[in-house]
Amino acid sequence: MTSTSRSRRGLTAGLGLVTALSLAACGGNLGGGDSADAAESFPDGPITLLVGQDAGGSTDLIARALADQASDELGVPITVENRPGANGAVAAQELAGAEPDGQTLMTFVGSLAYITPLAVSEDEAVDIGDYTVVTGISLDDYVLVTSPQTGFTSVEDVVGAGRPVTFGTTGVGTGSQLSQELLFAQAGIDATAVPFDGGSPTLTAVLGGQVDVGAVQLGEAAAQIEAGELVPIVTFAEERPQYLPDTPTAVEAGYDVPVQQSRAIVAPDGTPDEVVTRLEEAFQAAFASADYQAFNEERLLTPDEIGGQELQEQWTGNLENYRSLVEEYGIDLGGGQ
Amino acid sequence: MDLSPVLDGFGVVLEPTNLLYCLIGVVIGMLIGVLPGLGPAATIAILLPLTFGIEPVTAIIMLAGIFYGAQYGGTITSVLLRLPGEASSVVTVFDGHALARQGKAGTALGIAAIGSFVGGTVSIVALSIVAPVVAGFALDFGPPEYTALALLGILLVSTVSSGDRLKAVVAASIGLLLATVGRDGFTGAERFTFGSLDLADGLDFVPIAMGLFGLGEILHNLEERHRAVQAPAKVANVWPSRADLRRSSGAIGRGSVLGFLLGILPGGGATLSSLAAYALEKRRSKTPERFGRGAVEGVAAPETANNAAATSSFIPLLTLGIPANATMAVIFGALLIQGVTPGPQLVSEDPELFWGVVNSMYVGNILLLVMSIPLVGVFVRILRVRATVLAPITVLITLVGVYTVRNNVFDIVLVIAFGALGYLMKKLGFDPGPLVLAFVLGSLLEESLRRSLLLFGGDPTGFLTRPISGTLLALFLVVALLPLVRPLVRAALGRRRAPAPTDTHHPDHKELV
Repeated sequence: MTSTSRSRRGLTAGLGLVTALSLAACGGNLGGGDSADAAESFPDGPITLLVGQDAGGSTDLIARALADQASDELGVPITVENRPGANGAVAAQELAGAEPDGQTLMTFVGSLAYITPLAVSEDEAVDIGDYTVVTGISLDDYVLVTSPQTGFTSVEDVVGAGRPVTFGTTGVGTGSQLSQELLFAQAGIDATAVPFDGGSPTLTAVLGGQVDVGAVQLGEAAAQIEAGELVPIVTFAEERPQYLPDTPTAVEAGYDVPVQQSRAIVAPDGTPDEVVTRLEEAFQAAFASADYQAFNEERLLTPDEIGGQELQEQWTGNLENYRSLVEEYGIDLGGGQ
Repeated sequence: MDLSPVLDGFGVVLEPTNLLYCLIGVVIGMLIGVLPGLGPAATIAILLPLTFGIEPVTAIIMLAGIFYGAQYGGTITSVLLRLPGEASSVVTVFDGHALARQGKAGTALGIAAIGSFVGGTVSIVALSIVAPVVAGFALDFGPPEYTALALLGILLVSTVSSGDRLKAVVAASIGLLLATVGRDGFTGAERFTFGSLDLADGLDFVPIAMGLFGLGEILHNLEERHRAVQAPAKVANVWPSRADLRRSSGAIGRGSVLGFLLGILPGGGATLSSLAAYALEKRRSKTPERFGRGAVEGVAAPETANNAAATSSFIPLLTLGIPANATMAVIFGALLIQGVTPGPQLVSEDPELFWGVVNSMYVGNILLLVMSIPLVGVFVRILRVRATVLAPITVLITLVGVYTVRNNVFDIVLVIAFGALGYLMKKLGFDPGPLVLAFVLGSLLEESLRRSLLLFGGDPTGFLTRPISGTLLALFLVVALLPLVRPLVRAALGRRRAPAPTDTHHPDHKELV
């Protein structure tokens, strides 16, 4: 993150810092800052887990499911705090300004790191390289759906329709938009993006035939797919998600568009290695719990519990890949239209 | 019509928690109805954050209770103290207080309570029938339909609402402008954010409502607190006589229908319908000179109509996601906080919430009917609580409350800024209602319009070829042109009617528009 945006840190972060400092002082940790000290005394009081989305959404539920389990492991409470705004950029900004002692963490959404930067101006783009990643969490798949009335069942059908199509997206700078833009560009389909405000309005528009197709997260459409009200065309996963085994991926259908929503636990840059390791162990233990695994099944999430380093490379790789694809096909996620 | 979700709704209402919150809601509603100044929109805005931890259906049951409860409470002070607790009870003062001076305060309150109950109940039944029909068109409502609906809504809000029309238009325009703040949902471009991430998602509705309605009203009331409270009239014999009942039964019937119809209109609602019902009764009466001197119809009609309207104004919100008045806009915000998007899909996707809330109104109205008379004395005493005690507490609750919604200090700053704006608006005679409604409808209008044009490939004639949006736009034209045409029509009619001014008038809506 650039220095300008750091200096623009909200009042909230400032207050949070004051509170954190005074708490640390009360705890008698007057030395402060020294990494060995920090590691020994970690965790020093309750941990704050920031969520950049509204309470009740997927990211929030994941954070809460993990917080319960990891807090047992660490022996301190983990409180989930929602700081919704700008697809998580508000929370990310606060995290960047927090003390790097492992007491403040965030449930980061991948799209903020590798899709949103393609749509917003450079100084608003969040760089995952400015943070320390603790661990990956899981993958959420996007599925391209249509109403049975369109008669589309495969990408070929859409191509074969020989007419311009409209597609609903869950918003600008989302995986829903990127995946469809890439797919239709590669398939040579004349398609117009119609952004909606989130998954549920997008689905309603597809169900009502307002748009021809739309891409939403798998968990949002699963019930309607099962009921036959929606037809899945492709998923944008790397491999077929276990929850939708009969629907091909876009890659299988011949298009190079793997787009998934990934989530990770992220700490401020400069968090001591010992603390990161301790946190990683705690979250691995949370991943292993039966309750959490049942939660993943229920929300149709594919576990992706990879190490922090690996995840960081993956996300950076995604961003570069998407950036070159977007340039290659002349797609403009923002502006343009 | 499949009745099982309706019956399940009763099951939801009868859960002890929901009953309790329904009771809390109507008691708070009556209470603030008694207090002049603090209206239901302000109260609901202030209490929004408290609903955060409650189940959505429970929260909305309580907030709805506050709204229709306030219509009951407002009557009490109108009758006893000549001090309308709510704008919608202003006309009740004329005959209600006259009755009280004749020693018939009990009769006035009794008639008002019965009228309110009937009006509310008729309206709930009608709502139960109409809402699913509207919702049946759920999937036919696409962006073009919402565009037309939002246009119509904004027009009605700024022209039909009570008060100065020009000032309402000004307030609505400011609301529309405020709605443009934030990251453009179609291009990602920043608009009026001044580089602040706090503004990237636009201004949040909750701090605006809490500031304009909550803080603004508190500040404005502090200025006007010097009114001495006189000793209330004695209340005896609440049961109206048979003659009084017979005399007001027609007024109650007409008030129910009129209130129901006006409540549905965006910009309509309780205040407008109470005025209209009073005017209608006075015009219909063979002895209009009795009005203002203690006519029971003059109490029955407005009190019935304001309750019927309070109930029916839930229809556009729950079936289309369009708030009809300022209080509904705040309840709209409450639903969004709870993760529930009101709209045509609500009845089918969340029948428990929909029918739970609708059916809770039956229970709430019964509670109000039972409580309204015995509690009169208590509520009147509350008027003696000094504003200097009440105001700081309310401000504190407001500021702490808004912080808890998003844990964001910026929202506190917003509340204070909009509180100041709300105070100034009130002082200068602007109603903040149109601003808030236009703010809500503004984003809907812009987004739907742009979505529609994307769908139509940029061709605006697409709006006219779709049946629902075409009809709505035709309606828009009619409403927009009415003020221009009306003087001509009236002039023509006036010439013809002039010789026989004592004609028995059929009910018409002239002074409503």
